[in-house]
Amino acid sequence: MTPALAIKNYTLDYATAAGPVHVLHDISLQIEPGEVLGLVGESGSGKSSLAWALMRHLPDNAREIAGSLHLGDTDLQRLSPRELTKVRGRRLGMVFQDPSTALNPTLTVGRQVTETLVQHRGLGQREANALAIDLLGHVELRDPAAIMLRYPHEISGGEKQRVIIAAAFGCRPDVILFDEPTTALDVITGARILELFARLREETGVAALYISHDLALVTRVADRVAVLKHGRLVEQAPAADIFRAPRHADTQALVQAVPRPERRLIHDRPSDEVLLAASDIEVHYGRASLFGHAAPPATRRIGLDVRVGEILGLVGESGSGKSSVARALTGLARFSGKVRFDNREITGARDMNAAYRRDVQIIFQHPDSSLNPRQRISEILSRPLKLYGGNTAEIPRLLEQVRLPASFAGRWPHQLSGGQKQRVAIARAFAARPKLVICDEITAPLDVSVQAQIIELLLALRAATSTAFLFITHDLNLIRQIAHRIAVMRGGEMVDLLPIEDFDADHVHPYTRELMAASPVPVG
Amino acid sequence: MTELFIRLIRRPQGLVGVALLALIAVTCLFGPALAPYAPEKIDFLGRFRSPGWHNWLGADEFGRDILSRLMVGARSTVPMALIATLAGSAVGAIVGVGSAYLGGRIDEAIMRTNDAVMAIPGLLMALLLVSTLGNGAGNAVIAIAIAFAPGMARVTRSVALNIRNQDYVKAAIARGEGATWIIFREMLPNVMAPIVIESTIRVSFAVMLFATLSFLGVGAQPPASEWGLMVADARQYMYQAPWGLIAPSAAIALTAIAFNLLGDGLRDALNPRDER
Repeated sequence: MTPALAIKNYTLDYATAAGPVHVLHDISLQIEPGEVLGLVGESGSGKSSLAWALMRHLPDNAREIAGSLHLGDTDLQRLSPRELTKVRGRRLGMVFQDPSTALNPTLTVGRQVTETLVQHRGLGQREANALAIDLLGHVELRDPAAIMLRYPHEISGGEKQRVIIAAAFGCRPDVILFDEPTTALDVITGARILELFARLREETGVAALYISHDLALVTRVADRVAVLKHGRLVEQAPAADIFRAPRHADTQALVQAVPRPERRLIHDRPSDEVLLAASDIEVHYGRASLFGHAAPPATRRIGLDVRVGEILGLVGESGSGKSSVARALTGLARFSGKVRFDNREITGARDMNAAYRRDVQIIFQHPDSSLNPRQRISEILSRPLKLYGGNTAEIPRLLEQVRLPASFAGRWPHQLSGGQKQRVAIARAFAARPKLVICDEITAPLDVSVQAQIIELLLALRAATSTAFLFITHDLNLIRQIAHRIAVMRGGEMVDLLPIEDFDADHVHPYTRELMAASPVPVG
Repeated sequence: MTELFIRLIRRPQGLVGVALLALIAVTCLFGPALAPYAPEKIDFLGRFRSPGWHNWLGADEFGRDILSRLMVGARSTVPMALIATLAGSAVGAIVGVGSAYLGGRIDEAIMRTNDAVMAIPGLLMALLLVSTLGNGAGNAVIAIAIAFAPGMARVTRSVALNIRNQDYVKAAIARGEGATWIIFREMLPNVMAPIVIESTIRVSFAVMLFATLSFLGVGAQPPASEWGLMVADARQYMYQAPWGLIAPSAAIALTAIAFNLLGDGLRDALNPRDER
């Protein structure tokens, strides 16, 4: 039987001004009809390039050095642009990472679904409409006829991804490529999308290539898993085996890096002395204008306290208001309520004096945007030293503290990798010798293995400085490894605030239980 | 910097723009030394001499050599336009970034005032200002700078609004930096690329505007050999000696094109995503 998709000895380079960059090297993969192959790798391992090569949508500087790509009997590399339009979408579907950019914001959802059906299945407008409503109902969208008339900004991210999946499945393709379809969604929505994917797969028997950086997640959806590292295939094994018995060292490192809640990384108990106590915090964005009311507050009377040397986790899905809390505590957003820090009462950004600014530091999610691209690392690190009193001769020590060579001081941010940039951001926060560091999803954009290194670094810094952390994340497995207490937020309200020992107990909030169920705990 | 320059001249627009500007720069610096005649040298026998061996671009109503006058006049045209643009861009950029940083009602107040100034056409604005400040090249420069600043402020503000939401600006606010530091050190360097591009394109407008003011008699005063003034003088003899009109007009056009091409080239060269 011919495989649904066959990649043989495929080698791809990108030609750049600095010479060719090898992206993929001698990749051979096969997907049988009805099989789901998971492709796992860190960012930059070439997994998305492979997806684009299959879709025949490579940038102009791509050079295909060797190998072949076959979809069934069709040689994808030989197709003319005209033949290609009959294969793309029709026989080879694709679901993208970010549903918010994959739909055209100026067309209704219905128009975008029916257009693919008219184009690829030769249906009339009326039949296409009926089928689209049917398909949208099938991906568990409530009231599909109403959704058809809406524009993409009127539906949620999870609903958009469902629409895209419905359109992809609607053309009955032989193979569907999934490029990190749940990464941009929050945990619970992502888990529901995965359930939907499993159901549709069972019904249609479609073959799929599922690309992700998350090994734990891939082992749940795929039959077989292939691990990609620096453009080379290091291991291929059935999904059930790869987690239990990884053979290759790189796979073992990936498995090791996956956070598991039962493997605690800290064992001390924090003191009972309260460092920061916030009560009745309501964060406001925008002001009431002449013609309209102000938007409702992003958080509803949140109260939390951080103790000296404690790691407090703050979990919730996107839009739950957890980042708003971080912004309020650092004076970046207008808030009402009281914050008590070091026996001083603070009721707004104006009350935050230099001492508070020094003691409470924030590290942002995206290291790319938190370092000024026009300043060298030395200048970035020298600012807190100059502001809070310190000597710029300390810069090499700061870099060493985050395990970067002192020579990095002369570099520009764009010369560093994502993990290295985040280390610089951590060094900048610790340059102030803070008492509390707020980490706003700092590991979310990083690979699992880099995430493990950053967490290890933070814990080492905590051991050395006994700083308290407010650790904001959506990854429940990760936070259960390191936090002393965890607060759970939903829709601007705090639903739970529990010590870590109580997390398996019965009296947790139903929503917390739902979150735990949705977090992919690795098999094996 | 050298890398940027190499990227710039690798593109045809950039290369042509840089070559033309080099030519103009040489004329500005060494014009009087290179010119075949003195610009004020009157030759009554050679009135309205057509272009040829004696006067390469012809002679005007006093028999003055047009090429020499152009070469000397470059000094009083191009640097003036550059100064006017630089001053206008600097003021506009600072207003724009400051407005974006401060936000809220202050931003609203600054930008509505800005809109009001922008609603007056550039030439009319410049004429208004010169008529209050008095004739002369210096005042024309000030007028052009003021006429340019609002447009620049608008362009800068729109870019700066994006920068304002970047985490490094938030980080600076969170660690308690002052407004001056944030505006000048955190935000301004990051909006430079669009400002540089916009202002090179605006230099060509400034050259034309400056020439227009001189043509209307409120900019440079005779007997200066400013290009716009040369066009104004030659206008009366348009049918007798069209070269008197064509040569300075062509020089103005060429300078404008050169700066435009440089602006286009810079836009491509400063875009680091375009790494091909």
